[in-house]
Amino acid sequence: MLNKKEGNKITGVYSGFHIKRLNLNKRGFIQISFAWLFAIIIGAIILFLAIYASVKLIKTEESVSGAETGKEIAVLLNPLETGFGEEKTTLLTLPVESRIINRCESFGVFGEQEVAVSQKIRGEFAATGIGSLAHNKYIFSNKSVQGKNFYLFSKPFEFPFKVADLIFLTSSEESYCFIDAPEEIREELTSLSQGNLFTENCPSDSIKVCFDSEGEDCNIVVDTNDKTVEKDGSMVYFEGDSLMYGAVFAEKEIYECQVQRLMKRLNNLALIYNDKETILFGRGCPLEVNLLDLAGSAFSLNNSADLIIVKAAADDAEDENENAYCELW
Amino acid sequence: MINDESGQVKIQQMAFMLIAVTLFLVVAGMFILVIRFSSLRGTAELLEERNALLLASKLADSPEFSCGNAFGTARSNCIDTDKVMALTFRLQNYSGFWGVDGIEIRRIYPAGTGTECSLENYPACDRITILDSEKGTGVSNFVSLCRKEQGTFIYDKCELGRIIITYGD
Repeated sequence: MLNKKEGNKITGVYSGFHIKRLNLNKRGFIQISFAWLFAIIIGAIILFLAIYASVKLIKTEESVSGAETGKEIAVLLNPLETGFGEEKTTLLTLPVESRIINRCESFGVFGEQEVAVSQKIRGEFAATGIGSLAHNKYIFSNKSVQGKNFYLFSKPFEFPFKVADLIFLTSSEESYCFIDAPEEIREELTSLSQGNLFTENCPSDSIKVCFDSEGEDCNIVVDTNDKTVEKDGSMVYFEGDSLMYGAVFAEKEIYECQVQRLMKRLNNLALIYNDKETILFGRGCPLEVNLLDLAGSAFSLNNSADLIIVKAAADDAEDENENAYCELW
Repeated sequence: MINDESGQVKIQQMAFMLIAVTLFLVVAGMFILVIRFSSLRGTAELLEERNALLLASKLADSPEFSCGNAFGTARSNCIDTDKVMALTFRLQNYSGFWGVDGIEIRRIYPAGTGTECSLENYPACDRITILDSEKGTGVSNFVSLCRKEQGTFIYDKCELGRIIITYGD
């Protein structure tokens, strides 16, 4: 206990600081000089700002790293552009376990494909990096695909002319078992030799894709007569093998969006072929192929259920082109 | 008075010290950011270059350019110039579509005078500009340029050309 009247000044060493005078007020509290108070407050602010900036910088670095990887993936998709009637598969290995985020937007002339990457750092997935945008790529996958190794399988989509190369993205951690697949699909998958696609001797934990049969174990059911794929309780429609793979590997939302984007590109290509026909007409080629119906039906597509209408127009255009004096494609 | 003045000097000293520490931290932070962003710019340029290189080797096979089966059998690195001329009517839709700054197709054999193609002079011309880029780095790939030609009958004619992709405008 300190006496009020006896000087309330003491000298001592506290916490390693030599304090010459520690003032106590009348109630016995320590009186800190303004200089110390100022130093403590400003010091705390500086420390807080330094820590805040460091944390922000680390997060930005993680985001930048994800963005770089996303852009690299987008660039690596270029070699997947195929020739005609050929399929390609590529193994993509990322430096760390990552999530590839597939975003699809169907607005605008061609819609947008965005690829973003979230990398696993110190046991947790970092914030998703800035996505890499492309207008001429069509990736069919779930919205988020996780793993370190990814398979990219590409196949041209012809309707009736080549519209685009579709890319099917799967993680090596997920395997697909194609049960009772038609012979051409079996042959195609066998020749691809993609490590996570099986037609026989399937791993027990594989996702079972059943063709024209609805077994209890089936995760995905493909009806080749009605041209539908049932998955996760929802149904989508397809035309041709390329879109069938798309419906198998992609979530419904992504699939429908990509189909809309493909139809937008088909619409533009049909108009280009129509203009080409006019150019060739000037050089003596007769006008034999009606492409405006195809362009119109593709433009009017609302969802995959309308594919059957576009298919009818595409078949007509294909027949006309095959019999034309000057083939357009 | 003396104590007050001494205290004020101390506060001033401390304030100067704190300002110096803050400035040091800010400068150090900016230095790190400058280094980081310069390397980031380098990475972006490298990716852009790789994109252009890969695109140059594959663009000819994309649907807007490729010959398809229009000239007999399907062939790779073959550009249908009739289709590309038709594409030039609709370029407003294709702005930013390929993610590069410039795309140009040039006939290199038989050599010409470098005349730009238009609907009026096609096919008696040597150069089709799809995306115009006045500056930047160009990468190119050799391609066949095929078209339908009118003689006593309609026939296919293919010539040697280059597709030039420009980036970094």
